[in-house]
Amino acid sequence: MQSRMVELETRNQDPQGDHGPQERNYILSLHDVLMKKSILNYNGGCVVAMKGKNCVAIACDLRFGVQAQTISTDFKRVFELGPHLYIGLPGLATDTQTVLQRLQFRIKMYEMREGRRLKPHTLMAMMQNLLYERRFGPYFVEPVIAGLDPNTKEPYICALDLIGCACEPADFVVSGTCSESLYGMCETTWQEDMEPEDLFECISQSLVNAFDRDALSGWGAVVHIIEQDKVTTRTLKCRQD
Amino acid sequence: MVEENERPQAGFQFSNFGRNEALVARGFQMPKCRKTGTTIAGIVFKDGVVLGADTRATEGDIVADKNCCKIHYLQPNMYCCGAGTAADLEMTTQMMASQLELHRLNTGRQVPVIAANTMLKQMLFRYQGYVGAALVLGGVDKYGSHIYSIHPHGSTDRLPYTTMGSGSLAAMSVFEARWKPNMELDEAKQLVRDAIAGGVFNDLGSGSNIDLCVITKDGATMTRPYDVANVKGQRVGKYEYKRGVTEVLNTVVRPIEIVSETVKVVSEEDMDTA
Amino acid sequence: MATERYSFSLTTFSPSGKLVQIEYALAAVAAGAPAVGIKAKDGVVLATEKKHKSILVEEHSIIKVEVVTDHIGMVYSGMGPDYRLLVRQARRVAQQYYRTYLEPIPTTQLVQRLAAIMQEYTQSGGVRPFGVSLLICGWDTDRPYLFQCDPSGAYFPWKATAMGKNFINGKTFLEKRYNEDLELDDAVHTAILTLKESFEGQMSSDNIEIGICNAKGFRRLTPAEVQDYLANIA
Repeated sequence: MQSRMVELETRNQDPQGDHGPQERNYILSLHDVLMKKSILNYNGGCVVAMKGKNCVAIACDLRFGVQAQTISTDFKRVFELGPHLYIGLPGLATDTQTVLQRLQFRIKMYEMREGRRLKPHTLMAMMQNLLYERRFGPYFVEPVIAGLDPNTKEPYICALDLIGCACEPADFVVSGTCSESLYGMCETTWQEDMEPEDLFECISQSLVNAFDRDALSGWGAVVHIIEQDKVTTRTLKCRQD
Repeated sequence: MVEENERPQAGFQFSNFGRNEALVARGFQMPKCRKTGTTIAGIVFKDGVVLGADTRATEGDIVADKNCCKIHYLQPNMYCCGAGTAADLEMTTQMMASQLELHRLNTGRQVPVIAANTMLKQMLFRYQGYVGAALVLGGVDKYGSHIYSIHPHGSTDRLPYTTMGSGSLAAMSVFEARWKPNMELDEAKQLVRDAIAGGVFNDLGSGSNIDLCVITKDGATMTRPYDVANVKGQRVGKYEYKRGVTEVLNTVVRPIEIVSETVKVVSEEDMDTA
Repeated sequence: MATERYSFSLTTFSPSGKLVQIEYALAAVAAGAPAVGIKAKDGVVLATEKKHKSILVEEHSIIKVEVVTDHIGMVYSGMGPDYRLLVRQARRVAQQYYRTYLEPIPTTQLVQRLAAIMQEYTQSGGVRPFGVSLLICGWDTDRPYLFQCDPSGAYFPWKATAMGKNFINGKTFLEKRYNEDLELDDAVHTAILTLKESFEGQMSSDNIEIGICNAKGFRRLTPAEVQDYLANIA
């Protein structure tokens, strides 16, 4: 790994919150630098979701790494939980999968017991409980939910932190290793009432340009556009470095 | 694992705790969770109480939510502002709201504010400050109007006016200068607005809008937002990507067939216990 | 003789396949005060007789029609103390559901869970079945619901039903009077008339109790409101 990399300043650097000045490095050993970071960034990866006009979009990168070493470039971190319901689980990969399994168990039990489809808002509540149960020994995932309400078809997005605090804004939510860059991209490119095609361009460009500035995510992207009558899944062409 | 899944357990689960501690021991840092830096405040006025809060949630130094709601419902005659760890506040107030509702139904009367105060302090004391919730509880009952401030370790004070959170000093300075007994409603609302605005403009942990909740013996009214202290400028230009700019490797379109809702029919048959 | 041998332990079947303790519980229900429930187009009504043992009883301190949550209420026939335990359980279940899913519990879910609790008491050691049948009414997904829940843990949806003393007469009366287009106000009248079928003495707002449930939620009628309905009938 001779590639030149500029160290990312992360918000999780210092437990005391006392950020010293950060020099720009040409890193010799990535191990030393990345080891200091939050466990949330161990495997890399990011997810973004946006609201459009009668539609929602959710997108993620495809990298699975172990710190600076890329292991695979087709890692799923956005999952379908129903016809109009998706969840992204960026964070520590082992917890991504464990949380998904536990969640699927609860969802299937719910749908069998009640004989009806799960609403995105209900999924948020479930997720909140699942994560908060482990308030003092959390799973290292920061989930993003995107979907349409099965009854009203109302678009819904939401992001939770790792112990289950939900945030349900009107525009977009981001999560993962390059959330700062994603905030910047989405804040400038997102507009109200985008049609599905425009929403696709907006979310794709926001994601790709954000993770191109992030060493820990990228290597391809998948975008789901969820509309009332169909879900369009596109794989994007991306840099492979 | 199956056992654990099938029987939902009460209380917190610590099964990841050992693993997470081991990670810390190896030099990884615990991720930060969402906090509300926050300015929250409450005052007693002539006919009741006014609660106020800003709407910023932060994750480290990132603004995670620009318009979150920090005034939580407890009972029709009682609301509660929260500062601290966002998830703790959300869950603590939800749990308290449902316990108070049970209390109301089982006693058949309006819950007095002091009951909520006692239940909250007992819970927070039990968790020894690890549940990071700092609260301003306000409500009206048959004994009068009450504001309580509740600290994360479980100590509480009953006060005529109080503030909490990182912007509490800015807000308190406004109260110290201008609060007086038996204020009129409009005056009281303006005072709380100004106190929160003090936090919004002087404290980095607080920002965005100002929410107010007025509680009198006739009930509570939430005004959200009461005041947009920071109006976002109108953007003149547009940053739009033309359709087709993004290079796509492959597309899968899956039509969603109208899934008819399964209604579970409970058959009407004679009772069969023989 | 034979039945006595199998009535000792409620978890032992008799040779004919009966759990006699459950049948005795149903007998306790059938001996209890009558309760009526009627589903209308725009709501549900629950009504019950509330006779007191003595004129010295402070009548307004005893409540039989109870609120479970904003949109669900219930009433019973049978043993009062057993009922109060179930009311507490029902409220707990409703709050637990709300905290798990942040949405009000559907009536069917509440009934299923309450029935599961009642069933548990027919199969556990050291306990006896509940001596009550419940009528549970609710409003959700824009329609009314009415269920009956028995000591065995069996539950049934009804358009209208009667339980407790003289329930057969009550049901026969309802079969004649019920129609699908009933409005809630008419349903309240019909419920009172059904109680009247077997009522001994003068009916007043002190000795009957009524609860209604519609899109606005569940509430118990005040004695004054009950008095108004009674005045309209007389």
